[in-house]
Amino acid sequence: MTPARFLETRAKAWNRLEAIVSKTSKKGVRALDDKELHELTRLYPAVAIDVARARMYNIDPMTQKRINQIAISAHGLLYRRKNVRYLQTIWEFFCYGYPRLFRRLWPYITLATVLFVICILGSYVSTQVKPSNAYIFVPGQLDLTDEDPGVSGKDISERFRRIPKPPMAAGIMANNISVAFKAFALGITAGIGTCYVIIFNSMVLGGFAGHFSNHGLAYEFWSFIAPHGVLEIFAILVSAAAGLRLGLSLVLPGELKRSASLRVGAQDAVLLVLGTIPMFIIAGFIEGFVTPSYIPGAMKIILGVTITLLTIAYLILAGRSSLPDIKSKS
Amino acid sequence: MQDFDLIETPENVELERSLAGIGSRFIAGLLDNLLIALMYLILFVLLLVVGINVAGSIGISNAAEMWLLAIIILIAFAIYWGYFVLFEMYTNGQSPGKKYMKIRVVQVEGGGISFNSIAIRNLLRVVDAIGGYAVAGITMFVTKKVQRLGDLAAGTVVISEEVPNYSARYDKKKKILDNEAITSAALEATGLKPEEYRLLHNYWLRRDELNVEAKKQLLPQLIHPILNRTGHSLATESLVVLEEYVEKIMAKARKAEQEATKGTDNLEAEL
Repeated sequence: MTPARFLETRAKAWNRLEAIVSKTSKKGVRALDDKELHELTRLYPAVAIDVARARMYNIDPMTQKRINQIAISAHGLLYRRKNVRYLQTIWEFFCYGYPRLFRRLWPYITLATVLFVICILGSYVSTQVKPSNAYIFVPGQLDLTDEDPGVSGKDISERFRRIPKPPMAAGIMANNISVAFKAFALGITAGIGTCYVIIFNSMVLGGFAGHFSNHGLAYEFWSFIAPHGVLEIFAILVSAAAGLRLGLSLVLPGELKRSASLRVGAQDAVLLVLGTIPMFIIAGFIEGFVTPSYIPGAMKIILGVTITLLTIAYLILAGRSSLPDIKSKS
Repeated sequence: MQDFDLIETPENVELERSLAGIGSRFIAGLLDNLLIALMYLILFVLLLVVGINVAGSIGISNAAEMWLLAIIILIAFAIYWGYFVLFEMYTNGQSPGKKYMKIRVVQVEGGGISFNSIAIRNLLRVVDAIGGYAVAGITMFVTKKVQRLGDLAAGTVVISEEVPNYSARYDKKKKILDNEAITSAALEATGLKPEEYRLLHNYWLRRDELNVEAKKQLLPQLIHPILNRTGHSLATESLVVLEEYVEKIMAKARKAEQEATKGTDNLEAEL
């Protein structure tokens, strides 16, 4: 077969496939009827081989490009992911995938927690030893002076109560989820950025706690923080663990190529961080509606701790039945 | 940095993808961010219309307004983190800016982008966006497949889907060919008039740039007048036959020219 005859005999197939492919540009494969779908599956392999033949015959570059373009568009249509049902996928993810992922990545969660505990204890003790150290950890945010507390514990809650609840809950959710996403994304800096997020936040919290207890307001402080804070901090630590998973996949690739290790790490990490969203939503509602309420402080603390323990119990116990792991499907 | 990338299909054929350049990706990103800014503007106007002053929201009592404010906060949040995720999910890897620039995100190994990869590349956008996307720019510059950090972690590339213009183009560089001297040896061997030879010769030099359709249109127009004049006839209208006819003429001409120059070479050698 001469190049010219090749062009002549095959042009019909290319034109047909090109017509079919261009039909799908807006609506995807759904734009095709049964007959066209059938033609697509029959024409594509032949045209893919034409790409190789065109190279062999060394026909003109423009035509080579054209056949290649048609073949690659058809390839994209045929070898695509099957359409997933999002609601079912999400449901299965939280029933099986997420708890399993959490248990598999426990070393990273431990690592984040250890770093957090060290920093919060450090800043708390340091504030106890020297009260003015609080200003190092929470620069420009304290309105309590050392001589005169100015506001009582009641006032803190009172000020909080004046903010309308729904917007506050929404704002808190949005802000916390953003922090979680950033803790994950900054993991790409070999985990350094994520460590910064943990250290910064734990020192602010430790500094505040130390400062309030210096003024004898420890109970007010914890009954204000704990209802939403315990779950929030837990969720932030899980997000930070996702960032560490991402970062350490770069630093310690093991037997994989560094680029491949990063991709594997990112697949784990992104699911770990996305799974924290419901925790932040729950914590946001608590912070918006329960924290400023007139329920006794001890009750609030018990509520916060209980919800967090329930979350951890879910993560440890759920998804142990023998349904195939969700990860292996994707 | 390359401008193309190869993927191997299950048919064992290597297909060539052209990668989107930093420039077109930057413009696409700019368009998307303009669209995001427009959405924020609409939200802000909505706030004003409903009469909520953002700064003075503390102390408002109207329950409906409070819930509306909450919803607006959540929508703003969803736009910030979800704009790219949702568009890339529902349009198979094309945000509106990318659609306008005719570029698309795909998996490195070929095929449509997965949800996980969409989430990874767009959550990492906050890092890529540091310094006005300077981080993304540098990473795209140093990686072979023009990937930003998000693409590296997600295993994605952005490809260009611009369909090249297949019609024959006038090439300025080759214009000189029109004025190339026609040797008398070539004319003698082929029995063509100078203008006829020039036309065929130019066609021959440019045949690689023409696609089948263009050739089908052009060749009969070139050859039929010659055939009419010389009284020859060709068996069919087939492109193959016509091209072979031109090829024969050119081969004849080349041979004649070579012999002619050989003759002069020999002459010089003798002298």
